[in-house]
Amino acid sequence: MKSLFDHAIRLQWSGILVAVILGGVALAFVNPQFMTEFNWFVMLRSICVSLLVAFSQMVMLAVGQMNLSVGALGGLVAIIVGGLMDAWGVPTLPAIVIALAAGGLAGLLNGWLTVRTGINGFIVTLATASAFLGINTGVTRAIPFYNLPAEFVAFGNGRIGLFPYLLIVPLIVTILLAIFFARTRQGRYLLAVGGNSHAAQLSGISVNRAIVTAHVISGLAAAAAGILAVAQLGSAQPTIGSDWLLISFAAPIIGGASLAGGSISIIGTVIAVLLIGLIQNAMVLLAVDPYWVTFLLGALILAAVWINRYRAVRLGED
Amino acid sequence: MVLVLDRVSKSFPGVRALKDASITLQAGEVHALMGENGAGKSTLIKIITGVHRQDSGTMTMDGEEVQLSSPREAIKRGISAVHQERNLIPRFSVAENILLEQLPLKHGLVDFAEANRIARGHLARIGLDIDPSEEVRHLSVAQMQMIEIAKALSHEAKVLLLDEPTASLTSDEAETLFRLVRQLREQGAAILFVSHKIEEVMSLCDRVTVLRDGETTLSGVPMAEMTRERLIEAMIGRAEREAPKRTGAADSGQVKLELRQVATATGHRDISFRLMRGEILGLYGLVGAGRTELARAILGKDRITGGEMLIDGKAVRIRSVEEAIRKYRIGYVSEDRKYEGVILAHPIRTNIAVTVWNRIAGALGWITAGKEVEAGTPLAKRLEIRTPSLNQLVGNLSGGNQQKVSLAKWLAANVDILLIDEPTVGIDIKAKGYIHELVNELADGGMSILLISSDMPEMVALADRILVMRDFAIVDEFANDRRYDVASRRIMSAIHAGREVSEAV
Repeated sequence: MKSLFDHAIRLQWSGILVAVILGGVALAFVNPQFMTEFNWFVMLRSICVSLLVAFSQMVMLAVGQMNLSVGALGGLVAIIVGGLMDAWGVPTLPAIVIALAAGGLAGLLNGWLTVRTGINGFIVTLATASAFLGINTGVTRAIPFYNLPAEFVAFGNGRIGLFPYLLIVPLIVTILLAIFFARTRQGRYLLAVGGNSHAAQLSGISVNRAIVTAHVISGLAAAAAGILAVAQLGSAQPTIGSDWLLISFAAPIIGGASLAGGSISIIGTVIAVLLIGLIQNAMVLLAVDPYWVTFLLGALILAAVWINRYRAVRLGED
Repeated sequence: MVLVLDRVSKSFPGVRALKDASITLQAGEVHALMGENGAGKSTLIKIITGVHRQDSGTMTMDGEEVQLSSPREAIKRGISAVHQERNLIPRFSVAENILLEQLPLKHGLVDFAEANRIARGHLARIGLDIDPSEEVRHLSVAQMQMIEIAKALSHEAKVLLLDEPTASLTSDEAETLFRLVRQLREQGAAILFVSHKIEEVMSLCDRVTVLRDGETTLSGVPMAEMTRERLIEAMIGRAEREAPKRTGAADSGQVKLELRQVATATGHRDISFRLMRGEILGLYGLVGAGRTELARAILGKDRITGGEMLIDGKAVRIRSVEEAIRKYRIGYVSEDRKYEGVILAHPIRTNIAVTVWNRIAGALGWITAGKEVEAGTPLAKRLEIRTPSLNQLVGNLSGGNQQKVSLAKWLAANVDILLIDEPTVGIDIKAKGYIHELVNELADGGMSILLISSDMPEMVALADRILVMRDFAIVDEFANDRRYDVASRRIMSAIHAGREVSEAV
């Protein structure tokens, strides 16, 4: 029994899983509406975008960098996909492919600027975030694109039972990322560079290449999040992405990622996003002011990092 | 000859690290590289491993001249190194660390079963029984060291550099390492073994090369012809400088600072000494002996876990550096000038006045540039800091002048006790001489100084008494009569365990 407990506390995400389960059970008792099929659909659908946003930052944390342009990049891609379909009449599938490519390119730009100029990635992505946002509002004049193909909007709102169609995307991305980080050379290189870039370099791994790769994946994930957000809302709002930054850091960190790099948890990130979704859902059901959700999220990040720190010291692994 | 370096020189701004240094490595030998801190060993290693490039001289491998531009190229040529700092990825498995850039694939995915199998082979080759799937961060330091050797060997290394490999090993672990080194020698590898420890070098190595001040004082001499005395002689040489004489009396009879059986959180045990008013107490030891850590504990930066510390005869417990400075008037000149001594991006005036801000602040805590210049000017004059204005950024000054600024702030603070850590590392001879004079002057003025230095001539010239530290304990203490031969021999024998040399003199 003791060893089972020992094993559990060694897992970064065991604590938040317990929190999710306890929270869910409590909520079911307090508010019977929680257990309705529709409520679950709404909650799961809200998780789809958050999860991709979280992955977008998690990849950067893996390599020991940060991407502050996650939201601006996703927002730009959102209006690109909307604009292509509304103003240009491009069919759904090609529009999505082009928008994804734009996201990957924007990530490439972030990565290229970081390794090429030697400027801290924090500053580079802070600058590109502003640039992406500028293009976004400059092009749209803050007016959303509303005329989207019916099947695209239907995909964003459809469901099988309590499962939204949208969930398929983050599900696939989760599996791909899990394989990437666990079983591909490039994925291992990213973690190696994040864990000890000096050692990785001395072993003949290209640190620059790893950083650029991470930025491209981050850009693609943010782009996918942007496209999903458009499908979910039924319109390409220029404000999409403006509130992503906090959650992008919150989920991977609550899930056990190290800010120093080289250590991430995909399961942890997924559970953390579930936890955040649950909190948001609870706030709605209990009719709490939404601004308190933001407050609670901040408190949760501090608590999670503090607990991780405490455990690292306890286990002597720091 | 597997590897030959012929008359290699290398300069860094302000320092000539290597002057016509030469070394030859043969297949199937363990070759020792020795020398004091700062003698040029690290520079030589960095040239061999492709981190630095020499300014002049040649490097030849298997008779062919080579130019290495990166560590990667060195690895490809068959030169692998196990550096002093650990170069492993803590959260990766043993197998993955060994095979990092050459992980086996199956259907495009990493085949961990195969990786474990290959790694087990590499581990078996050096007689290591470790589960290759174990995460590296769960291993002991000695095991990590072995993993690094296995990693180096996985590259088919012909030349293997081991930089201070036993520094953090117990004697049993070191013995295992030596068996491995001997076994690799049988297999025909050329091993360069860098170490401070004379005993292990004499018993393990076939030949020895010694560096002093960047020059080769012994080049590839067979170990059989060597004695301890000759090795020490080659490493430390003779005193070249005239020792500046103290004018004041060192023994004031007043104990300023006393440590009684102090133990610290960083691992010191049973540290006892007295520092008198107006005395320069030297603390000698090799890198890693625990000198800087002791200074940090006195300053309240690290925790004191046992024994007691007295200032002016009263037991004190210092909880923070701020308290050390404000309440007990203890100053610390850091060995890490650039990171802990000065703020490079700030002007000289700020750097000097930082310790006295609370004194020069006006109403509402307002500090003006004028006040800082006023406080700094007499000190800058006294220390002869060469600068057109005190508004000059410290980052633009030479190393020597930076060090003067680092000292000046403690003069401004008017401290009673000054801990000085490696005051003259990396600065030119002239500034060095000046700083030595200054340290003497400060002590003459009644300041109590604890001087940490690995520079033997400096230690012998300045210190009134010398403490020798090894493995976080004080192993010798004696009054220094400033005779270089006597003091340096006594220090060296204390460090290299056993007193037989000093008794023989």
